Amino acid sequence: MSDDTLLIALLALPFAGAAGALFFPANARNAEAWLAGAIALAALLVAAQFYPDVARAEVLRSEFRWLPELGLGFTLRMDGFAWLFAVLVTGIGFLVVLYARYYMSPQDPVPRFFSFFLAFMGAMLGVVLAGNLIQLVFFWELTSLFSFLLIGYWHHNAAARDGARMALVVTSAGGLCLFAGALLVGRIAGSYDLDRVLAAGDLIRAHELYLPALVLVLLGALTKSAQFPFHFWLPHAMAAPTPVSAYLHSAAMVKLGVFLMARLWPVLAGTDAWIWIVGVAGLCSFVLGAYAAIFQHDLKGLLAYSTISHLGLITLLLGLNSPLAAVAAIFHTMNHATFKASLFMAAGVIDHETGTRDIRRLSGLARFMPITATLAMVAAAAMAGVPLLNGFLSKEMFFAQALAVEGPSQSMDRALPYLVTVAAAFSVAYSLRFIREVFFGPAPVDLPRAPHEPPRWMRFPIEALVLACVVVGLFPAATVGPLLDLAARAALGPATPEYSLALWHGFNLPLAMSVLALAGGVGVYRLLKTQLARGVERTPFLPPIDARAVFDRVLAAVSRRWPRALEAAVGTNRLQPQLRWLAVLAVVAALGPLYRHGLAFGEGASPDVDPALAIAWVVGAACAIGAAWQAKFHRLVALVLAGGAGLVTCVTFVWFSAPDLALTQLLVEIVTTVLILLGLRWLPQRIPFAWTWAGARAAAPRRLRDLAIAVAAGGGLATLAYAVMTRPLPETVSRYFVTQAYPAGGGTNVVNVILVDFRGFDTLGEITVLGAVGLVVYALLRRFRPARESLDAPPQQRKQSAATAADDVLVPGVIMRLMFPVIGVLALYLLLRGHNLPGGGFVAGLTMAVALILQYMAGGTRWAEARLDIQPVRLIGAGLLIAAATGAGAWVVARPFLAALAVDVELPLVGKLQLPSVFVFDVGVFALVVGATALVLVALAHQSVRSHRAPQQP
Amino acid sequence: MSHAAGLPSFVAFVIALLVVLGAVLTLIGALGLLRLRSFYDRVHAPTLGTTLGTGLVLIASLTLFSALQSRPVLHEILIGVFMTITTPVTFMLLVRAALHRDRSAGRDPAAEGASRSQGRPPEPRPE
Repeated sequence: MSDDTLLIALLALPFAGAAGALFFPANARNAEAWLAGAIALAALLVAAQFYPDVARAEVLRSEFRWLPELGLGFTLRMDGFAWLFAVLVTGIGFLVVLYARYYMSPQDPVPRFFSFFLAFMGAMLGVVLAGNLIQLVFFWELTSLFSFLLIGYWHHNAAARDGARMALVVTSAGGLCLFAGALLVGRIAGSYDLDRVLAAGDLIRAHELYLPALVLVLLGALTKSAQFPFHFWLPHAMAAPTPVSAYLHSAAMVKLGVFLMARLWPVLAGTDAWIWIVGVAGLCSFVLGAYAAIFQHDLKGLLAYSTISHLGLITLLLGLNSPLAAVAAIFHTMNHATFKASLFMAAGVIDHETGTRDIRRLSGLARFMPITATLAMVAAAAMAGVPLLNGFLSKEMFFAQALAVEGPSQSMDRALPYLVTVAAAFSVAYSLRFIREVFFGPAPVDLPRAPHEPPRWMRFPIEALVLACVVVGLFPAATVGPLLDLAARAALGPATPEYSLALWHGFNLPLAMSVLALAGGVGVYRLLKTQLARGVERTPFLPPIDARAVFDRVLAAVSRRWPRALEAAVGTNRLQPQLRWLAVLAVVAALGPLYRHGLAFGEGASPDVDPALAIAWVVGAACAIGAAWQAKFHRLVALVLAGGAGLVTCVTFVWFSAPDLALTQLLVEIVTTVLILLGLRWLPQRIPFAWTWAGARAAAPRRLRDLAIAVAAGGGLATLAYAVMTRPLPETVSRYFVTQAYPAGGGTNVVNVILVDFRGFDTLGEITVLGAVGLVVYALLRRFRPARESLDAPPQQRKQSAATAADDVLVPGVIMRLMFPVIGVLALYLLLRGHNLPGGGFVAGLTMAVALILQYMAGGTRWAEARLDIQPVRLIGAGLLIAAATGAGAWVVARPFLAALAVDVELPLVGKLQLPSVFVFDVGVFALVVGATALVLVALAHQSVRSHRAPQQP
Repeated sequence: MSHAAGLPSFVAFVIALLVVLGAVLTLIGALGLLRLRSFYDRVHAPTLGTTLGTGLVLIASLTLFSALQSRPVLHEILIGVFMTITTPVTFMLLVRAALHRDRSAGRDPAAEGASRSQGRPPEPRPE
């Protein structure tokens, strides 16, 4: 297989697995785990086989053009750095799947879990493999979304919901900033393509927009990596199932921020702004995270703060502006992934087998689960930086870099080694506390469950990861050396420095710092032991800021209070001001260009007006004015008059030989009139008022103003129309349509050929909108609360007995029912002939809708629905599917979307028949129009059937 | 109309006569609607247009197209049939509604025509 195919497969596999996982029954724990495991393993193998390519320092690219004019495309790009992350994501993902199989309870709906998990893995791979900044941001937001779903997996638990929401708000807000930053970076570099951006480092750093771009990108990275001051979401995300925590907070989610900073390191790093923002955020997270971790009583809480601290370490390394430090950062990223994933899993095992994660309740577990205890101890030792383990190596490199730093501030440079030694001592202290209090000491009392070793395969992922810690710790150069080398070379480019991966560098200052940190950590722990045993609830010496309360308050202000205040200040619930503003804005918008370019009328005004048409127009205008006049006082009359104006329009279309338009106008007029008639019943009654001179005078300014607006808008539009219509018709595409309708479109009805063939894509969009409108009307009417006075049946209905009501519509009802098949046949006829003669799917659909409306009118809602099974929503869906499938069908014969095709069918009796694909398309339009109209009808009709809840008193 | 040029003049005369007759009948119906006093009187007037008036125009159309295409063109019969079937529905519903209104207002619909013949027809009352 080619590299292209494999790259796509690597990205597509998890998403395909996620879609597949959804279709399993809720209790298929084993099948799900097999599927997810196989997908993760396959993705790992696919990633692994790229090793020879990336080891030659090659950059694999696979491009799909989408909008090349905008620099948008779908580009997959794999170099050594991306490869390393892909392997981490898929490899640890596989181990976590295996672990989750045993962790998840049989009662949990596992399809959802594994589906989200795989989708999250896919999104991670999408970020890692993105060869385009926009694409990277897209997958970045996807990871936010899926991590939200994963953290909130136990959505019956309020903590999980809140934690998930907090993670989503923080990380996706950061993602939006990143989006803005990526746009800026792409604009400076002249391309969103990652290769070109990476090559434009000097240009970007020298640009005046560098600082805003940097801040925006870093906002994205630091929120994702839970760096100070955005760290608060991570401890709350611990409400997630432990496999999720093990994955998200070791190898995946939080590493994305680090990934991004390292990815853009050659472009953005090297300035003082970078060192100040990244370095300080990293240092604060490193020190404060380590300090806060000591005082956590929840095992996962301790690990969460330790994660913040270790990511702070990595961020600090990246922020030191030294290539060697960046290498150390990449190295520590790998090491942290291994030991933190295993520690989370061990914490999950303890939780699973004892029923609690509270360090104060746990004790002496080593005698019940010796193997797990040993594994956890090794991993914790790696976390603390004990020699012979991988954590020691990267921490040693880190200390060396902290000593060598040459930042913009002398005092900072000098203070840094002390600060990091203290923080390292803290991390030794919390690691020690974890080991000492959970596994040693007296046997635990009063645990929810009797502790014992976990199942064999639940332990396996921990064993594998701990083995990696030890092997890397012992033989760094032989095992991880080449991987680190290729990742560092890919990430840093030509700036990659020489470095040595060895266990022993001789007696030097970093070693002394390590020893000091180890000793200091033991000291800190001994000092705090008694205080910790007493169970202090909060971290001493830190201001008691409840990040969650602050977050909630900010969120409430931004999402509720401010918008409401804004709405109260500038919004209105009244229809009249809204419409007034709409009309005024339209007039103003039209006046703008007129003011600049002036208004001139053409010469083509035709002096002779046919008196018949003129009379029709006078009638139409009278109807329109009458409708406006009566709209306030007598709605029914206004509606009838509006219908009259519509009919005159229809006659005008006939007069000017536009039968298609006339037909459509007529049917639209009928359908809308009937639907509005049905809706009239639910409008509130007018408040009765007595006409007085004083009242009229008080209302006069408002009425005059409204009249002025109405005259300006209507007269202005008429003037514009006149100015356009008195000019000769410019040479437009319409001539082409007329001449090509038959030769190219195969139909003699130009209007229909344009609709279904030349402009088929527009029509597809239009029917989509129509379907959406139908659904929206339905949704709005479903929750409709009528005015109090129109709740009861109208007086006419109340006075009328049921018998006379049935009597009244007896003969008309029979005739209406008789008309149903006739109108149906007419609709079919219009549909079939549409391509060559006036008609088509839209008109036919409206005709069919009229037939349906008649049935509702003749027999009432219950009668009609007992006999006619109309499924409007299905009709809408089917219509859209048919139309889209017809368009997609053109792909089969390698033609573009919606290209018109024709198939000759041999039918019995009828003979040879040419069946153009546009006809099928028109059938889709037909179904959708019927569905959308019927949906509105049904929604209105059901108002009178259902019982209404009285509106609440304001 | 260019495509009507080949029409024999006597056929054209017949068609014109039919169309004018139909139009006049419809006009009379419209005038009746305007002039007659009570609702129950007025409801009769437009039927002149919808029955005989339409029928004459349809026969004219039928004649015209049959003559032009030299074959019987019978589409118009369908129009006539449907007009005949559907127009009464409108009238029935309108009259039923009027009856209903008068009865519920306590007026005698039978006396309505006589008593109202002096004044204006009752205003449609808003709900």
